[in-house]
Amino acid sequence: MKKLILYAVVGGIAFIIGYFVNYQLFSDRAPVQPINFSHKIHAGDNQIQCQYCHIYAERSRVSGVPNVKRCMGCHQIIKTDSPEIQKVASYWDKKEPIPWVKVYNLPDHVYFPHKRHVRAGLDCKNCHGDVATMARIEKVSSLQMGWCLSCHSKKEVKNGSDCWTCHK
Amino acid sequence: MSGFFERIAGKLKSYREPGYYTKLDHKWTMVIDLDKCNGCEACVVSCYAENNLPVVGKEECEKSRAFSWLRIERYVEGEYPDVKVKFIPVMCQHCMKAPCETGCPVYATYHNQDGLNVQVYNRCVGTFTCATYCTYDVRRFNWFTYKWPKPLEAQLNPDVSVREMGVMEKCTFCIQRIRAAKDKAKDEGKDVQDGDIKPACSQSCPTGAIYFGDLQDPNSVVAKLAKSPRRYRLLEELNADPSVIYLKRVMGDGNSSHE
Repeated sequence: MKKLILYAVVGGIAFIIGYFVNYQLFSDRAPVQPINFSHKIHAGDNQIQCQYCHIYAERSRVSGVPNVKRCMGCHQIIKTDSPEIQKVASYWDKKEPIPWVKVYNLPDHVYFPHKRHVRAGLDCKNCHGDVATMARIEKVSSLQMGWCLSCHSKKEVKNGSDCWTCHK
Repeated sequence: MSGFFERIAGKLKSYREPGYYTKLDHKWTMVIDLDKCNGCEACVVSCYAENNLPVVGKEECEKSRAFSWLRIERYVEGEYPDVKVKFIPVMCQHCMKAPCETGCPVYATYHNQDGLNVQVYNRCVGTFTCATYCTYDVRRFNWFTYKWPKPLEAQLNPDVSVREMGVMEKCTFCIQRIRAAKDKAKDEGKDVQDGDIKPACSQSCPTGAIYFGDLQDPNSVVAKLAKSPRRYRLLEELNADPSVIYLKRVMGDGNSSHE
């Protein structure tokens, strides 16, 4: 009996540690980024608009990851002594792009235009969640086809359930 | 027992709303003027480039696994000094009563509201039924996952998915271009105009033999050409109602014959 309780306790602790390590480090939902970038500071505390950095969202298929130049536009002056900003500056000096890890990754056979959705009046929050509270960006929607179709049928998109509307 | 079958039949009928096949948004149609076609196969080359088609090589072609979505059929008449060669470009005819659609067990091919015969690669399980049913022999099967040699993969079209092994595919009337034209038209707040869409074959044809447009629009070039007395469709007697209209070639001796 004593042995059983010991197994249960050790197993439980191992599970909890494993769960959190897995959740924080290895999960696809919130992967560790090369730079500890916080959307909470940028979009939350400082109220920067999404499309200030993701400039293509309204006019292209992809919303666009901002280039290092856009980061350095502000951070040449702001908070230059922070170690994370110095990492950005090192990429800038090396003239290399920052290898961000893609969180919202759609498969290649899906045609998804950000443009059409933004111009239809959808808020970024509808799919990306409340980014302004996230210290590290986190995937909140499944991006499965059923999830797409539930919205398409609710909003009565024209030909919204036709295969060739999204699949290429 | 009969009630049971009626219930199933009723469900099958209600799967499509009434008028699905009669009230289309568009009816994309291709008109090919065989009088202008000189068989240069520029359309074939551009189709390969646009739609990420693999070049399978000689051995595969010998096993009749050639991969062209669009092919030029050649008909040679007569002996050497007096030879007449005729060409017909044949691609998916996007039949309105398509035989291939009846066969698919997983509903991977169906007709959409644009009058296009849709092939859904992710649904396809590769039973080959559609290719067997196809009257025009235009469906192509991925026998292998074809690879592009190193520098060539950079020319793959990002708007078209690269298909894998075990998937049937065919001409799509360049759906990515139709989609792009619709996208642009929506930005400008109007409907797609005639001439906005040009499939790769039509764009590359040096003599301009291939026209593309909406047959439902009475002012489109296609609708006007479709009334031509030279008009015919391939194997029309089979009643598949194809969307590709050919204009007969007028031969030198004045006889209008090309079928």
